[in-house]
Amino acid sequence: MKLSITLSKFLRIGTLPLVLILLMAIAAVVAFTRYAFGIGAISDLSYSYPWGFWISFDLFTGVVISSGGFLMAGTVYILRIKEFEPLLRPSVLTAFLGYIMVAVALLVDLGQPLRIWYMMIHWNHTSVLLEIGICVMSYLTVLAIEFAPVVLERFPTLHEIAHLIHKFIMPFVILGVVLSTLHQSSLGSLLLIQPQKLHPLWWTPILPILFFTSAISVGLSMIILESSLSSRYFQRGLETHLLTKLAKALPITLGVYLVLKFGELAVAGDLGYLFTSSVMSALFWAEILIGVVIPIVWFSIKKNQTSPRGLLTGAVITLLGLILNRFNVSWFAVKHPDPLFYVPTFMGNVRYFPTLPEVAVSIGIFSAGIMAFGLLAKYFPVFETEHEAETTPVPIRRLHPAPTVADD
Amino acid sequence: MTQTISRRDFLKIGAAAVGALAVGAMLPPKVAEAARAAGTIDSQGNGYVHSMCEMCVWRCGLIAKVVDGKVVKLDGNPEHPHSRGNLCPRGQSGLMNTYDPDRVLTPLVRVGKRGEGLFRQASWDEALDLVASKMTEIKDKYGAEAMVFSSTHNLSQPLFENLLYAFGSPNYGTQRSLCFNAMIVSNLMTYGMEEPERIYDDKLKYIILTGRNLLEAISTSETHDLIMAIDRGAKVVYLDPRYTKTASKATEWLPIKPGMDLAFHLALLNVVIGERLYNRWFVEQHTVGFDELKKEVARYTPEWAAPLTGIPAETITRIAHELADAAPHVLVHNGWRTSNFINSFHTQRAISILNALMGNWNVTMTAAAAEGAGLGAPPQPPYPRVSTLRLDGVPWKYPIVPFKIGVFQELRDNIVKGDPYQAHGWFISRQNPIMSLPDRAKTLEAFGKMDFIATVDIIMNDTAWFSDVVLPEASYLERYDPLLPVGDKAFIRQPVIEPQGEAKSALWIYKQLGTKLGLGDFFQYEDEEDYLRQQLKPLGASLEEVKKKGYAEMPEGEPAGFTWSTPSGKIELYSDTLAKVGFSGVPTWEEPPQPKEDQFYLLTGKVAQSTQFGTQNNQLLHKYSDEPRLWMNARTAANLGLATDDWVEVTSEVGQIHIKLLATEAIRPDCVYMTPGYGHLSKGLTTAFGVGASSSVLHVTYADPISGGQALSQTFVTVKKA
Amino acid sequence: MTEIKHHAYLFDATRCIDCRACMVACSVENNIEMDKTRIWVAGLGVTGEYPNLQRGTMVYHCMHCEHPDCMSACPVGAYTKAEDGPVSYNPDVCIGCRYCMNACPFGVPHFDYDKGIIDGAFIDKCTFCPQRIYNGQEPACVATCPTDALEYGDRDELIQRAHERIAAHPDRYIDHVYGEHENGGTSYLIISHVPFKDLGLPELPETPINEVSEKVMEMTIPFALSWGAVLTAVSAGVAMYDNNKKKNGKSAEEKKAEEPK
Repeated sequence: MKLSITLSKFLRIGTLPLVLILLMAIAAVVAFTRYAFGIGAISDLSYSYPWGFWISFDLFTGVVISSGGFLMAGTVYILRIKEFEPLLRPSVLTAFLGYIMVAVALLVDLGQPLRIWYMMIHWNHTSVLLEIGICVMSYLTVLAIEFAPVVLERFPTLHEIAHLIHKFIMPFVILGVVLSTLHQSSLGSLLLIQPQKLHPLWWTPILPILFFTSAISVGLSMIILESSLSSRYFQRGLETHLLTKLAKALPITLGVYLVLKFGELAVAGDLGYLFTSSVMSALFWAEILIGVVIPIVWFSIKKNQTSPRGLLTGAVITLLGLILNRFNVSWFAVKHPDPLFYVPTFMGNVRYFPTLPEVAVSIGIFSAGIMAFGLLAKYFPVFETEHEAETTPVPIRRLHPAPTVADD
Repeated sequence: MTQTISRRDFLKIGAAAVGALAVGAMLPPKVAEAARAAGTIDSQGNGYVHSMCEMCVWRCGLIAKVVDGKVVKLDGNPEHPHSRGNLCPRGQSGLMNTYDPDRVLTPLVRVGKRGEGLFRQASWDEALDLVASKMTEIKDKYGAEAMVFSSTHNLSQPLFENLLYAFGSPNYGTQRSLCFNAMIVSNLMTYGMEEPERIYDDKLKYIILTGRNLLEAISTSETHDLIMAIDRGAKVVYLDPRYTKTASKATEWLPIKPGMDLAFHLALLNVVIGERLYNRWFVEQHTVGFDELKKEVARYTPEWAAPLTGIPAETITRIAHELADAAPHVLVHNGWRTSNFINSFHTQRAISILNALMGNWNVTMTAAAAEGAGLGAPPQPPYPRVSTLRLDGVPWKYPIVPFKIGVFQELRDNIVKGDPYQAHGWFISRQNPIMSLPDRAKTLEAFGKMDFIATVDIIMNDTAWFSDVVLPEASYLERYDPLLPVGDKAFIRQPVIEPQGEAKSALWIYKQLGTKLGLGDFFQYEDEEDYLRQQLKPLGASLEEVKKKGYAEMPEGEPAGFTWSTPSGKIELYSDTLAKVGFSGVPTWEEPPQPKEDQFYLLTGKVAQSTQFGTQNNQLLHKYSDEPRLWMNARTAANLGLATDDWVEVTSEVGQIHIKLLATEAIRPDCVYMTPGYGHLSKGLTTAFGVGASSSVLHVTYADPISGGQALSQTFVTVKKA
Repeated sequence: MTEIKHHAYLFDATRCIDCRACMVACSVENNIEMDKTRIWVAGLGVTGEYPNLQRGTMVYHCMHCEHPDCMSACPVGAYTKAEDGPVSYNPDVCIGCRYCMNACPFGVPHFDYDKGIIDGAFIDKCTFCPQRIYNGQEPACVATCPTDALEYGDRDELIQRAHERIAAHPDRYIDHVYGEHENGGTSYLIISHVPFKDLGLPELPETPINEVSEKVMEMTIPFALSWGAVLTAVSAGVAMYDNNKKKNGKSAEEKKAEEPK
């Protein structure tokens, strides 16, 4: 059903944007309440559960789904595999918006959001969170620089600056990859300081390595997902042959992760928990099967590697499973032990379940991200490569597939 | 939890409490001018002031820290024998008492109906004139006896008694019959003193506690002593139908059936005497009546006691042996609130006697110093003779209850009955009879019979709520009171800050009222400081020094000898006094009533976070209090289909309440328990109103004919889902 | 009293009567809001079946760990461990991320969930009463405890005292001083008659639990530099290879072009 609102001759808003705007508005109201009356007024967070849905969804998931950016930047600029260039800009944009969403979410979740920049000047060098904070903030800058040309190319007068950025992009790309490696793995390191709280099926000293490895898989899957959805929504072609190559890489990256994961369990002597921890075992098997085993099988089948439907389905399954992993590590498998509170009673809340307003904030921020992606893709040469954008300085909306790059 | 009252224009009961108010953000500060003069507080309003707590009757010495003219912290005074540097939770919360937003700070005169809570502010002159005129009017019309005076014992009590005796009324209501009449009268009969002092030293090896939940009904130094004794390895046997915190620390907890403490102690006497385990020399030298006692207890064998108490006979016998083995370093504790059953008096007698048989005088028990001894007092004329009968039946119904103690519940009953005459006025000071007397409905009925009620209180407590005039007393951190001797020192209570609003000390109030009643001669002191100076005169100490130090040295008292103020001069195992008025001269078995099949014993007791009926509005204590619930044994509850958090209806023969249930293992299956002091009627208590329910609504009035003690545990209730 | 080199508390669960004087004292001394607390009670309370019952509760506040996890975790360094023991919190740098709450195995830091952006939402926890202990007084909770369940002194002395008390009454205590070694040692030591986990105390190893986390963090900069170097080398290598190919490709074309027709 195509519902739309016509505000004026020049402004018509379709269904999806309408829904997104509504969700953003709800989130704004909730956020305002949070700023006026405190986090407790709109969430179920407590002394026992200082981190909940926001951290799992906006921080952990938000960061990992932005990992496509550095993968493509590394592939295109460092490894110079130019054929992937059509995927570069969209994934950089995905990453850029992803990280902005993380930052916005933090502005709601932090106790003193106006002090978010303190991490740049007050340093505790043993803190994993500091590393994440500095890396994310720096990487946002890098992403902004990497994405700036897309915006600048829209304005013929600013082509020069865009060109300049292209010339000196290498150090930023390298910096971007280093920063991404650091913070993608550090999100796992966040849990290193809770060995007695995170279930042994997940806690390991190699958590950062596991997180980085799975982040690569998530990045690849995200690129497939974003391309599939964009091609449908913007009615443009799908770079299927490129996505096939990514799909072929997935069983390898996932396989490495699987070996590392089970190897770690074996070495630590924790294999027993696989079947004896009821809910924890179930969650573990769910994430491994859905996020790793099934995708390995799926993407080993040629048909799924090459058909748009197969690609999209496989990507979604992988993402669901690996995002479950992020939720497990940051929330579901973290046992905040019942400290047997007695007195005073106002401390007694030792259960956590996210409230509707809590979820609404995250959904609203996510909607804003989608909205921004849509608007930027509509008015800026997101789906053109740098070369094309420079040579076709006209409004971008295309209705036929972009020319493929000649094989090298 | 907190309930705000609706404001009326002319109603000023105090500023409303803002939920998350920090302790320090209180009413405007006023530095005690006197403290400044004494040099304990400097010109900036900073310093330390020595005084005494009043959050319970233990009256620990404290040191108050004043910053910027505000009391910011209370610490125990290490030199005070009752605190030794510690303060219990109520003591620590004391400044919240002073800074309670619900304080009454001006005299109030009722304008609405009694119980509506509608008052207007009045000046002291107007209020005192009103009170004096009303009291005089009643005296002229009905006689001085128609004016009832009641007050719970406190440091200004002598001046209250001045008012009462000078006025010429015989009707004096104290709270004692609701608390420890049984213990006091028993000790008077046995030892010739109200309460011997207990000595906890390194050698103390064996303690039997009957009730006396010392670890919750905290008396700071004695609580410390008990824990240290346990720590050293002393054995503590604790009798209580409830697994209290004391039970959890005791070596042996005996969940005795209520009312059967008497059987237990009689059986102990039986074994101790029957097997000749008592201190023969001591008994011969210092007691009378052994033969009569021996004859009486011969039939109270452990086998006889076992089915009554629910405690195996072997256990009783063993405890008797252990007790005797450890003698004389043993203490059979009398307890404190001993008004439990009609037979409690005999229980107390058995306990007092058991101590004597162990020969522990001047080992673990000794004579306490008489109150006020060694201090000076203002001169005063002799009191007028009073020949009218007392309304509380002393001595015509209760021949051996001391006058200064009385039978409070009888007083209230006869106010309602109007027998032998009708009372018409009631002057109440530092007391909450509406909450403390059993059968609250009846107390309200008694209030209804009054033409005039005046109350002195610091906060709009329930009794004040139902009064015609409320006179604001300064809180204990804001006032002087007469000196209190403890051990070899006389301690001072002095203002740490100036009284807020119009509040005044009792010393001032009683003098002003007395003067307006034409009784000024009985209050021959200029002001509080003058009174204290007169008290200090025999000690030769200056008030300024005492204010700085916190106490005056008292001359060494005579060490207690082996004489007792009884008719025989010895410890009376058999009391002729009792026999002469027709009671048993030795402790004797009296079968207590028992609940029916579907009924429970209603138990009440203490918690460390509140005192009686007056502290529930203290926000600091409220913060750390357990929610008041009805305790019921978990299995019993399950059988009745009840679970924790259920609302239940509790019914006795005089009243009914609704309260939340707590199903717990920590109580006998045939008992239920609730903490008294909740279920306040006064909406002027914005923190306490609406919290919990009142046990006084349920309590049936009983008076032990010997000691006049109320039998608080003799009320039986039914419980069902609300 | 001997000079205190390392301030510490000793809690004896057998003496604690759960009266909460310590809590009231702390609230007053430190001007705490009515709906906040720095001390609380935890434990199983009354256990067993009537009439065979037991009771165990513990008074909690900050453990002032020797290797504080809050200090390790806080990104902006809001926590400091003084040389003589107390762990303190500085609200002036706090950003309210609540990582310290996750890191602390004892659930000590309390966050202002009820404060908006104007008041600022900060952490609150026991400060060890510096305004008292550096003025010759005991912390407020210790000073007021009516049963000496809470004691204060030098850490080594208190540990010795604890062991002596256990040795004097072996049937009364569990033979262990909690906090002597747990998490690398804490300055709040506990001896008890009931299992420590029944008091709500977590089982912790002797090695501080922040050890792995800190080790990984130490590797960050070396790793970043190495990885950056590798990437630079790779990109330079690939660039060279690419250029060579282009050159070779060009020369092949040039050669072709230059070949005689």
